Amino acid sequence: MKPRIVITGMGAVTPSGANVQETWTALCSGRSAVRRITRFDATGFPVSIGAEAQDPGSAEAWLASRGQTHLLTQVHDLKGRLALAALREALDQSGLEPVPRRPERIAVCMGSEAARPDLAVIATRMRAGALPAPEELAALAPDAPTRLFAAVLGAQGPRSTTSTACTSSSQAIGEALLALRRGDADVAVAGGVDVLIDPIMVTGFSRLGALSTRNATPDAASRPFDRNRDGFVLGEGAGVLVLETEAHARARGADILAELSGFGCSCNAWRITDSPPDGRGARQAMEAALTDARLAPSAVGYINAHGTYTSMNDSSETAGIHRALGSAADQAWVSSTKSMMGHLVAACGAVEAIVCTQAVRSQAVPPGINLDEPDPACALRHVGSAAREVSLNHALTNAFGFGGSNGSLVLSRWTG
Amino acid sequence: MDRVNPDGWVDVAGWGLLCALGADVSTVAAKLRAGEVGLSVDALLERMPGPSVAGRVDGPDLRPWLLRRKDKKLMARPSQLALVAFGEALGTHAVDRSTLALHVGVGREPPDQGQAQAALMAAAGPQGLDETLLAGPGRDLYPPLLPLQTLPNMALAHVSIHLGIHGENGAWAGGAAAGLVAVSEALHDLREGRASWALAGAADSTVDRGSQRDRLRQGAASAPGEAGAALLLTRVRGQGRARLRLAPPPITHPSSVAHAPADQIGDCGAAAGMVELVVAAHCAATTGETQLVVVSDPGQAPLAVEVAPPEPLPV
Repeated sequence: MKPRIVITGMGAVTPSGANVQETWTALCSGRSAVRRITRFDATGFPVSIGAEAQDPGSAEAWLASRGQTHLLTQVHDLKGRLALAALREALDQSGLEPVPRRPERIAVCMGSEAARPDLAVIATRMRAGALPAPEELAALAPDAPTRLFAAVLGAQGPRSTTSTACTSSSQAIGEALLALRRGDADVAVAGGVDVLIDPIMVTGFSRLGALSTRNATPDAASRPFDRNRDGFVLGEGAGVLVLETEAHARARGADILAELSGFGCSCNAWRITDSPPDGRGARQAMEAALTDARLAPSAVGYINAHGTYTSMNDSSETAGIHRALGSAADQAWVSSTKSMMGHLVAACGAVEAIVCTQAVRSQAVPPGINLDEPDPACALRHVGSAAREVSLNHALTNAFGFGGSNGSLVLSRWTG
Repeated sequence: MDRVNPDGWVDVAGWGLLCALGADVSTVAAKLRAGEVGLSVDALLERMPGPSVAGRVDGPDLRPWLLRRKDKKLMARPSQLALVAFGEALGTHAVDRSTLALHVGVGREPPDQGQAQAALMAAAGPQGLDETLLAGPGRDLYPPLLPLQTLPNMALAHVSIHLGIHGENGAWAGGAAAGLVAVSEALHDLREGRASWALAGAADSTVDRGSQRDRLRQGAASAPGEAGAALLLTRVRGQGRARLRLAPPPITHPSSVAHAPADQIGDCGAAAGMVELVVAAHCAATTGETQLVVVSDPGQAPLAVEVAPPEPLPV
């Protein structure tokens, strides 16, 4: 019998809010966080809009309160600050500290890509012929957030970093689920972080034709499943979950927020950027997640779609949903919260798992805005432009990455 | 017989390895034992501080595995090395690729090989890089395929696409231990019933100016290198040339940086530990000796894998 794995803490910093509650409130209000880019002068760029997260500022005070200011050498940029802010919120909610614990029983599983030095840093070095400091180089590695979290927590248990683009943090959470079930740990901190709004990334993705160019109407640019969608909007943020075995959570009297009941993944084996039109990879991931959760398709009340509003993804995901759920697809509400907060890439799986957790806790599903003219190829039970109160026991969240890795998670209402 | 071994063993049914000493495991293992060195003077590095030799892989020839020849231009060096190594490991085994698991150890994003240089030079203003110039003349000089080539999971993507693999998967960072992280994930999939067969390995190249600069900055003294290394693992008994399992704790060997022979093939980055594991599997298969491969990397807990000769099947 697999042990049940529960969520006892969540933290998020997103374009929609500085924490989980702010993000959830903004999403349920249907508020778009897409604006003109302010992080650099985007005048003249083909894409000048993005979904920027508010910089949480230095973590020095928090680390100082823990006697860990030496870890500031591992925090060089916005990515590190976002990750720490999300971790702090998750730890505070979980009440995990200060509780006597065994560090070898704490796992850290993060989804992250390599960081990039910002343009100003590159410019300074080009002028001066200077080289990056060794600690800066270490902070650029994909596993930098994992190492940082492990150091903050004093965690000596299993550690992993997945770098599968948009599926990274979904797979990281799945990895944590498996490690906890296997008995390799009692507690796992899992999530993801990504920061992509910089001149190099905007140039690169716009050259691919992947980004929306609705610069004049930024709040209308993110249009999942809409017939007139023209590409995604780059976002940034961090999402972190504290996961525990049910036994461990009960033993310390933790408040259980929800259950992480299933995970599934697959490869499309199709193309680097596109998803197969028949949605077979998405179907395989969703079916695997439902099998893992021991749920029939009819049990799913809400799907937080990957919904990146590229031409291919949305129709492919729709096909996958219909194939995975069959007739039950007509009963499951669907929305893409990327319609409001853009695409957080490596962090989107974690943040959207948090959205689903809030959904089962609140018995409400967030809207998917800008669905003015639903694409006939995306025929789903769309939530629409306003949040809905629903009776919801199980939610499914999808993440489908560049390169064809797919991940699906099932979040379930906790009834004890 | 598809059954989980109670002691954690799985069979090694295939392997692939290419590095500066050759493109098949037997050749590489023999040359390593003989103390041969595969490093050679590299024109790219000659004007840089530090070693001007590198452990380059010849070629490789991707044609046996490429579905579409034009896809080669999408593939950075680690992806090319991965495709050959994983393709060799899979070989002609009749494996259901819809459920075949695939786990790849990856390094940092491959730094661009100067492809963005023209765009950055066009964007150079009196105060350094100028965003307005990047948006203007720089933009058209920026290679549109560069973001796709430099994502760290591209090796996983290309292997899955060209070998038609659909199952459980992951691209795992972990420094020199990334390949063993991938192997441990594959072992979990096999033991927990998510797959009956799994491909696991790693590929990386540190033979470029950007990587060399960064390596020197972090105090590396060895020459850069490149490699792709992979194993085909299965819980189906009787398939193996060798068998392996995660070494049960306590690990009695002291943890240490990968013993991969950097002085013979160069620093192969994320593939370093995996090269050692594939050679160890070959050694176990050919000599009948059990091997223990221990790899760690700063920030990564040590991983230990035991490799043994194949299990004799009951008569």
